[in-house]
Amino acid sequence: MNKQALTQYYRKHRKAIVTATSGLLYGGGWSLGYLTSFDLASATILILATIAGGYDIAKTAYHEVTNRTLGIKTLVTLAAIGAIVIGEYWEAAAVVFLFSLGSYLEGRTMRKTRTALQELLEMTPDTATVRRDGDLQEIPAREVEEGEVVVVKPGGKIPVDGEVVDGESAVNQAPVTGESAPVHKADGDEVYAGTVNQEGALEIRTTGAGSDTTLERIIRRVEEAQEAQSPTESLIDRFAKYYTPAVIVLAIGAYAVTQNAILSLTLLVIGCPGALVIGPPVSIVSAIGNAARSGVLMKGGEHLERAGKIDLVAFDKTGTLTKGETTVADVEGFGVDDDEVLSLAATAEKKSEHHLADAIVDAARERPTTMTDGGTTVAQADDTDVRHQSVPDPDDFDVVAGKGVIAHADGHGVVVGNRALLDDRDIDVPSRIADYVREREERGETVVHVVRNGDIIGAIAMRDELREAAPGVVAALRDAGIETVMLTGDNERTAAAVAEEVGIDEYRAELLPEDKQSVIEAYQADGYVVAMVGDGINDAPSLATADVGIAMGAAGTDTAIETADMALMADDLERIPYAVTLSKATRWNVLENVGLAVLTVTVLLAGVLTSYVTLASGMLVHEASVLAVILNGMRLLRY
Amino acid sequence: MSDTTQYRVLDFDCPTCASTVERALANVDGVQHVEVHYSTGRVEIEYDDSVANPAAFAETIENQGYTPQPA
Repeated sequence: MNKQALTQYYRKHRKAIVTATSGLLYGGGWSLGYLTSFDLASATILILATIAGGYDIAKTAYHEVTNRTLGIKTLVTLAAIGAIVIGEYWEAAAVVFLFSLGSYLEGRTMRKTRTALQELLEMTPDTATVRRDGDLQEIPAREVEEGEVVVVKPGGKIPVDGEVVDGESAVNQAPVTGESAPVHKADGDEVYAGTVNQEGALEIRTTGAGSDTTLERIIRRVEEAQEAQSPTESLIDRFAKYYTPAVIVLAIGAYAVTQNAILSLTLLVIGCPGALVIGPPVSIVSAIGNAARSGVLMKGGEHLERAGKIDLVAFDKTGTLTKGETTVADVEGFGVDDDEVLSLAATAEKKSEHHLADAIVDAARERPTTMTDGGTTVAQADDTDVRHQSVPDPDDFDVVAGKGVIAHADGHGVVVGNRALLDDRDIDVPSRIADYVREREERGETVVHVVRNGDIIGAIAMRDELREAAPGVVAALRDAGIETVMLTGDNERTAAAVAEEVGIDEYRAELLPEDKQSVIEAYQADGYVVAMVGDGINDAPSLATADVGIAMGAAGTDTAIETADMALMADDLERIPYAVTLSKATRWNVLENVGLAVLTVTVLLAGVLTSYVTLASGMLVHEASVLAVILNGMRLLRY
Repeated sequence: MSDTTQYRVLDFDCPTCASTVERALANVDGVQHVEVHYSTGRVEIEYDDSVANPAAFAETIENQGYTPQPA
């Protein structure tokens, strides 16, 4: 080994070497003193042990003093110097050795927490194969330009964010969304850097490379979140600033009163603000890191601590408990052809942007041009022979918010809407029609009436399938002691049917978007800590009102990530119980760590005042408590 | 002109250590803004590149007893 390599090795392992040297000298000096009567030799070796282990600590202490950030190393240095001055060489060497060993182990374990996220970044390949001038070229991934086409072989990692322009494959998106099941990708689908192409070759038009990818943005956000101090952390930090000087004053005061040097030096050692300041950040960093790897972005310690107190989760129904893909389930004509009902409704609704309107227009378009009967035959997506019906424009139309539309089409006055709209316009609903509507609503469907020139000619029932995971998620939250409520614009009967199917505790129906906010505020006024789950776009105001706003399917939608306190990258409802229970576990973990720290200091203080604890044993217990809180916090990495 | 650089220090063993490094870096000539985070080990330095010598940053961190890595 040449000199340079040796220097490098020493630099890299300096802490371990220093700790080992100090430990060996300490052991040697202690044995010599214990087994023989070479007191002078023993003392010399113990002083050497103190210097070997203490040099680096003293150097940092010097920097602490000159930078006016008095900390633990200043206290340890004072204690060690004091012990040597009063001739307690063994104590001095023991304190320094135990402290070095402790901080070496603490540094090592914290490194694991700090690198947990970096593993995600290593998922992105360094090079990319791009199509340039008709050739395939391998270039560094961060040099790929927007718009360039990247080729990814089966089994290869995707190097850039982009849109599939050719090929079809299953892509494992776990690094970005935390979903373990691969997602099918074909023409026009979005793919993310760092995800794995499992089956076929893909050609991808680049939309972002280098530091401008979803994964990089996620990691930057997660780090910001980890660095943002939680209320507990800032409280402890402010406290710690005065704590260390106070301990020094206390030690001096204790010496002045008792003249007992050992006692006052021991106070310096046990007064080190170790476990108390280290515990909460370790818990929070571990939890946020763990969540990120499962596809849940937490905005910071403050949000996490608040999420730990959630006792009610409010779900927006559409797109959250349901798939958000409303389709027409049934069309019923009363005295007219079903098809005529659908096509008149579609014309009236064509210019509306409501999801029910979209479903009606889509259903009208998908009907084959030649209807064999009045049934609800729907064209198959892969049936290329079907000529889609074109839907004519209405002559004019008006939206009545939360009720329906009023339009003129084909020379008729048309109203498409719910019962409230019909009542407003004094339109009679015959009992036969009311029965049909009730029957469909009791199945959890939403029904609109179609009125032509003042007479009801039919009704359209629409359905938004429940997500398979929804009942399990609600049950899991209940098991965790959390109440659930569903918020929806649907009418009472539809809402009741869906609520029963999901097994949710409560529901609030017939809500306009702004009503959802007031419902949340009402719960908050009743003392609930409320989490609101939504898609983050339509329900942004209610997400902001809730104590904790949770946005689903946030990958690719930056607004959702911005507004939500927690963002689920995947459109996966099952992450909700995980995110909520992780937050609760984190809150407990922080409390455990603070409790352990306070308990340790109290016990040690009692020990010092009764002379049971001296420098070395005080340091041993202190360092053990620091390691204990770090290890306890790191449990959250594996939650 | 103002420039920004980042390091990663994985071996901070206490929150005060990070504050001490932060203060020390702030005293390096030409440094305009510096953030050192104990929890992630991330060091971000904003400096005037006509005054500051970036080599001094890593050296300052090392002098305090920690190992800076490029980030």
